Amino acid sequence: MSAINVRELTPGTSIVLADGAEAEIVTNPGDGMWLFARYLSSPRDPTLVGQEEMIFAPDVVALRR
Amino acid sequence: MAMNDKRGYRSGLVDLRAGEVSREIFVNEHIYAEEQERIFARAWLHVGHESQIPRPGDYFVSSMGEESVILCRDRTDKIHVFLNSCRHRGMKVCRYDQGSTPVFTCPYHGWSYGTDGRLVGVPYFREAYHSRLDKEKWGLVEVAQMHNYKGSIWATWDAAAPGFTEYLGDFTRYLDLQLDGWDGREGQAEVLGGIQKWLVPCNWKFPAENFSGDTYHNISHRSVDLAGIGPSGAGRRDMGERDVSRKLHVCIPDRGHQTIHYVLPAGQLPPPAYQNAPIVAEYFRHCEEEKRRRRGEEARLVGAPGEIFPNTALLSRQPRTMAVWHPRSAHQTECWRWFFVDREAPTEVKHFLRDYYIRYSGPAGMTEQDDMENWNYAHAASRGTIARRYPYNYDQGSGTAVTDYEYQGLRVPGEVIDLTETQSSEQPMRNFYRRWAEFMEADDWSRLATWRGSERKAAE
Amino acid sequence: MAEREARIDRLLLSQEIADFLYREAELLDERRYREWLDLLADDVRYWMPIRRNVKLGDDEGEFTRAQSDINWFDEGKDTLSRRVKQIETGIHWAEEPRSRLSHLVTNVQVQGAEPSFAAPQEVSVTSRFLIYRNRVETETDILVGRREDQLRRNGAGWLLARRKIILDQNVLLSKNLTFFI
Repeated sequence: MSAINVRELTPGTSIVLADGAEAEIVTNPGDGMWLFARYLSSPRDPTLVGQEEMIFAPDVVALRR
Repeated sequence: MAMNDKRGYRSGLVDLRAGEVSREIFVNEHIYAEEQERIFARAWLHVGHESQIPRPGDYFVSSMGEESVILCRDRTDKIHVFLNSCRHRGMKVCRYDQGSTPVFTCPYHGWSYGTDGRLVGVPYFREAYHSRLDKEKWGLVEVAQMHNYKGSIWATWDAAAPGFTEYLGDFTRYLDLQLDGWDGREGQAEVLGGIQKWLVPCNWKFPAENFSGDTYHNISHRSVDLAGIGPSGAGRRDMGERDVSRKLHVCIPDRGHQTIHYVLPAGQLPPPAYQNAPIVAEYFRHCEEEKRRRRGEEARLVGAPGEIFPNTALLSRQPRTMAVWHPRSAHQTECWRWFFVDREAPTEVKHFLRDYYIRYSGPAGMTEQDDMENWNYAHAASRGTIARRYPYNYDQGSGTAVTDYEYQGLRVPGEVIDLTETQSSEQPMRNFYRRWAEFMEADDWSRLATWRGSERKAAE
Repeated sequence: MAEREARIDRLLLSQEIADFLYREAELLDERRYREWLDLLADDVRYWMPIRRNVKLGDDEGEFTRAQSDINWFDEGKDTLSRRVKQIETGIHWAEEPRSRLSHLVTNVQVQGAEPSFAAPQEVSVTSRFLIYRNRVETETDILVGRREDQLRRNGAGWLLARRKIILDQNVLLSKNLTFFI
């Protein structure tokens, strides 16, 4: 369980997901549950790279500085 | 002596031939439950005004009957009205009063909806639902019909209901007085920030019938007339036109809408008002002239309290407000009041009117306070077993309305009683309750849209 | 020594201001409205915003704005005087029979004094209120919230120059606001 409050993250921030993928926040709706982010990498499914998806908060395990 | 009937609605509770309405329709909880289905799930209801949601993503949480709804503008600028309840387990997806957002996310399990109502976020969609949930099917519940009438937003849950302007019928011009500019330009109204919301312990039909045009209750406002809160410091309104106009009750039969109304003599502008505030007086003088120029004879129409069936009140003159009487139980109503000014009016005019509106209307309004006292204790004193045996009297002026009213070349459609002659009538309440009974009895819109066929004439 | 005197000035002023607020509340509860009006500056502003439910961070959106939005109250002495006059007619049915009221004023804190605590001419003070209103037979309202007052020196006493009333409600749970807060 990550201790990241996604409500506080700003667009442009890079996040690491539970499956090892990385994504960059495009929009933060501020609901504390979802982020709109664009995949930068995805070991599980490389076709996701460049795509924008909604990321569920528990999937965000780390921030990339 | 009739026994109180513990069941719900039945024919005869509204007896217009006798000019009587049973107290049961106000205090009976079975009838209240039936009203939610037969009236509030079928009629057109007022939701808000587009000036409350100017930009994409803006929303305002409103109410339709007992239901919480979201009025919002999606990313493509389209306006929607949604039921404020998650499709998964029903939690409210928005508990803020207003704001701006890209999505409405349910705090319970995290289902998330776009401002177009589509389900866009489902936690563990791939893992738990195996990507098989049909998101298209599980979007927010949207009203069956929505209509933007000159900026005011109306909606109904009934796909079979006639369109909004057909629902209004000949009442359109009275809503126009509310929403058009004082100078006669279309749709110039804007809503001031701050919607007053408050609870009154009475059935919703007490305020609805009061705003239908209860001129008889003027006497209950003596105290505010004596205290003098009018724009020029006396009485409760500046309405010199009252002294020169014909004062009418205008009822639109078959629709259930009705209003008080003034008609100025041909060629006459309203007498000067707001004389203590020169800028305001000048603004209205200018607007009246412009309106006469733009609208011609129609500019002789001057608005007053009215009611669009079932629960929206108009007051297009002073103070310029709209109210909705939300049913909360048989015995409780939540009142919401919107306040209007001309969008392009000078700031000083807006301030002047706003000050007046606040001291007149709402729970701190020195006029409306006395109304609510009457509704409160009329309701309370009608709940008893004995009290319920005795109907209210609505016989004032029965059978005296005319349908061909004309004053100095201006024809006024509808059933009209000239109050300049009679002082008062209860034609508007009879019109309201006649329509109410039709809604309670008719099973579908083919029987409610009586103006389309001859059903009503045959029934009489 | 000077520091001790400054603290005494502050203490004396706090007590004096609290006494003013308690006396004011007493006048309202004893229905001595004319005497209460005498405690108001001629240019008094009496403001009670409507409170909205807004997202964390939207502090501005929580309150309707004075002299620009619709509020519960937003008025000066003229309108306040007319409210008193209306009650005095004896036919203002929302206050006839009259309410039984108790204003409990607490958490009184003097926030500032100009030009000084030693010789104050203008004082800002915050407090909390609990108003119990009972009417007719069983009609009961409880209103709780905060007041932010600006007081102005008037000879030996004080005048209320500005009052902001922050009620802890969204939908007003009372059918009317026929009383002063």
